[in-house]
Parts: sequence; C-alpha cells; structure tokens
Amino acid sequence: MHQGEETKIDLLKNLLLNDDRLEINALKLKIKHLEDLLESKKQLSKKVDPIIDKKLDAYTEEIPIALGPVITESLKNEIENSKDQVVDALYPIIGKMIKKYIQKEFQILSEKINSQIKKRFSFMGFFRTAKSKFTGVEEDQLILNQIGETEIQEIYIIEKNSGILKGNYSITKTIDKDVLSGMLTAIKSFVEDAFKTGNDNLESIEYGLYNIHIQNFKTYYIAVVVHGVFDANYQQKLKDKLLNFSKKHYKATASNSKLSNALKTSFS
Amino acid sequence: MSNSKKIVLLGHFGVGKTSVMRKYVTDEFSSDYKVTIGVHILKKDVEDISLILWDIEGTKDINRINKSYLLGAHSFIITYDITRPSTFQNLESQITGLKKDFPNALIKVIGNKVDLLEKTAIQEDRDKQIVSITDYLTSAKTGENIETLFLSIASELSK
Repeated sequence: MHQGEETKIDLLKNLLLNDDRLEINALKLKIKHLEDLLESKKQLSKKVDPIIDKKLDAYTEEIPIALGPVITESLKNEIENSKDQVVDALYPIIGKMIKKYIQKEFQILSEKINSQIKKRFSFMGFFRTAKSKFTGVEEDQLILNQIGETEIQEIYIIEKNSGILKGNYSITKTIDKDVLSGMLTAIKSFVEDAFKTGNDNLESIEYGLYNIHIQNFKTYYIAVVVHGVFDANYQQKLKDKLLNFSKKHYKATASNSKLSNALKTSFS
Repeated sequence: MSNSKKIVLLGHFGVGKTSVMRKYVTDEFSSDYKVTIGVHILKKDVEDISLILWDIEGTKDINRINKSYLLGAHSFIITYDITRPSTFQNLESQITGLKKDFPNALIKVIGNKVDLLEKTAIQEDRDKQIVSITDYLTSAKTGENIETLFLSIASELSK
C-alpha cells in the first residue's frame, strides 16, 4: 500500500471510530474511579467498623439505663390515660386465662362432688343424710360445705382505742402482729369515722376466700381471719364462741401470753 | 399486762416525722421524700417494751386529724421543722389542746432538721421561745438525738 493510502485509511478510521474511542476512554475512567472507590471503602470499613461496633455495644448497654425510667414512666402515663384501650387490648388474653381458670376450678369441684356422691353409701354418707334430715339443711349444701371447709387462720384480741395487741393465735406465719393490729385498728377507725354511722362498728372485711370477722366489745375487739365458706350459720356459731371466750377468759389485766394460750386452747 | 406502748407522731407536712421514725426503727435516712398518706405504723422493741409508732399524716392543724388515730396513745411526739417557722406557729396551743384531751399521755416536742441550723440560725425572740419548750433538737439525717428521744420515752413509760 502507498503511504498516501495509509494516511487516508488512518484518517478514515479516525473519522469513523473517534466517538467510540472517546466513549471507551470515558468508560475506562469510570471503571477506574469505581474500583478506587470500592478499594477505599473497604479500607475505610476496616478502620471504621470496629469503632461503630464498639459504639453500638455501648449504646445497647446505656440506652436501657438512660431511657428505661423515662420509657417506663411514659408507658405508665399512657396506660393511665388510656385505660379503656388497654383493657380492650388485654381483654381477649386475660379473658381466655380467666375462662380457663374457671373451667379448671369447676372441673376440680365437679370431681370432688362426684367423689362425695360415691361415698354416699359410706358411713359418712349415712351420717350426712341423717344430719340433713335432722338440721333441715339440704344434703348438697352439706356436701359443698365439706368441700370448702372453713378454717380459722388467725385470731387477734386488740385494744379498741390504742390498737395494741392483747393476745393472738395463728396457724400461719404473718407479718409483725403488733403492726398488723395497729393497721387493722387504723382501717377500722378510718371506716367508722369516714361514714359517721354513730356507734356502729366495722364488723367484717372480705378479701378473696378470706373473711375477717370483727366482734366488738366495750374496750377491745376480736378479729378472726377465716378461710373458706363463711355463711350465716358459721358466723353465728363463731359469734357465740367468741362471746363465751370473752366471758370466760378476757380480763383487761390478763397478760398477752395468757390470752394467747387461751385462744389456742379454745380455737385450735 | 401488755408491754406495748402507742406513740403517735404529729406535725406539719415535711417536718420529718417519717424520717425520724425510719431512722430510729431501721437506722436509715432516705433523701427520697415521700409524703405520708393517712397513717403508717412501725414497731421497735426497747428492752422489755414494744413501741408501736403511729406516724400520722402531716397537717397544718392538729384538729383536722382523725381523732380516733390519737385515742389510747401513751405518748405524743410533736415534731416541727426548725428551719420553717410556719411549722411551729401554733405549737403552744396545740400542746395545750393535747394535754387537755389526753391528760395522762407523755408529750415530747422535737425540733427536727437541726443539721440545717447553721444556715438558718434562730434569731427571733419568738423562735427562741419555741426552742425553750422543745425537748430535743433532732436530725433524722445525722441521727442526732433520735435514739435518746425514744429511749427517754421508753424509760418514762416503763415507770
């Protein structure tokens, strides 16, 4: 080929391929830039990641301490201010739990009743039938009473004005009896004073399966903590027993130990 | 006979009744002030006597207290805050009233927060007069005179 022809071909190549070459060069530059960027990010990440991890760990530990009380307080306020919504949200869960509990209790009760009925022809069964006919109390009521046996858990003799404990008997371990006597007297005084019902006295406090029967005397009162069925019949018997106890054993000058022993003998 | 004695603590809001009682019973002073609601009862055994301490809700006027809380008390501790004159303004008339209603009860007057006394030195004649009818200047914070106060009450009640 002649030299002149070669120059022409080069010129033609330049004319035809110039744009593509420019584009390729620009792409090469872009790829190089991206490669540099990736490399520098990797290097940066190596240096920065441990610092970030450390900071995150520190935040994880510090945030509950710093924000815990604030969040708790906010939640409390939120619950306080939106009781209905909270109840609506919890009802399906709590409702199911209560339903399950009641079903279980009914099952236990049913089993106990079946067991009592099976014993119908035992000596106790005949005794119960006879007792029912004699007292006029329905036999099923007697069965229920046997199931939920009533038990005296604690008895306190307390000076009316001062709330000072004069004697006590207990089958359970309780908080300080002197403090309990004082608090019971304070509650009693508060109720009697708040409702201003003349000379009427607080005579009963109920909580769950427990019942505190309060029998008032002139200068003292006797508080009896009863667990189980506390019907009118049992209450009347208890009242009579407490009256007899008072006549027989109570003296203002009696020592705490003497009264406590008398309670134990009479009610255990 | 029972060896328990009812001691009632009276005084304005924030004079330190609960702190005095807590310092004596549990030897703790809490800076977290909590307003007493109604009545709070604690017990401390001193030798052969049980002191049943009734910490009554603070009020400006003793006549507004539920009187039944005071019944049967063997002793009253009237507490005022030595740094706040408003807490001992009607002290003398309150003592007179208590003596009239409970002639057999032992009455002790204490000026609490004596640890802050330097900052608010007693200067007024009237304040000096109040201090003169005070049995003990106490500090629930440092424990100053707290034990002495209750021991003297136990001692006098056991006579």
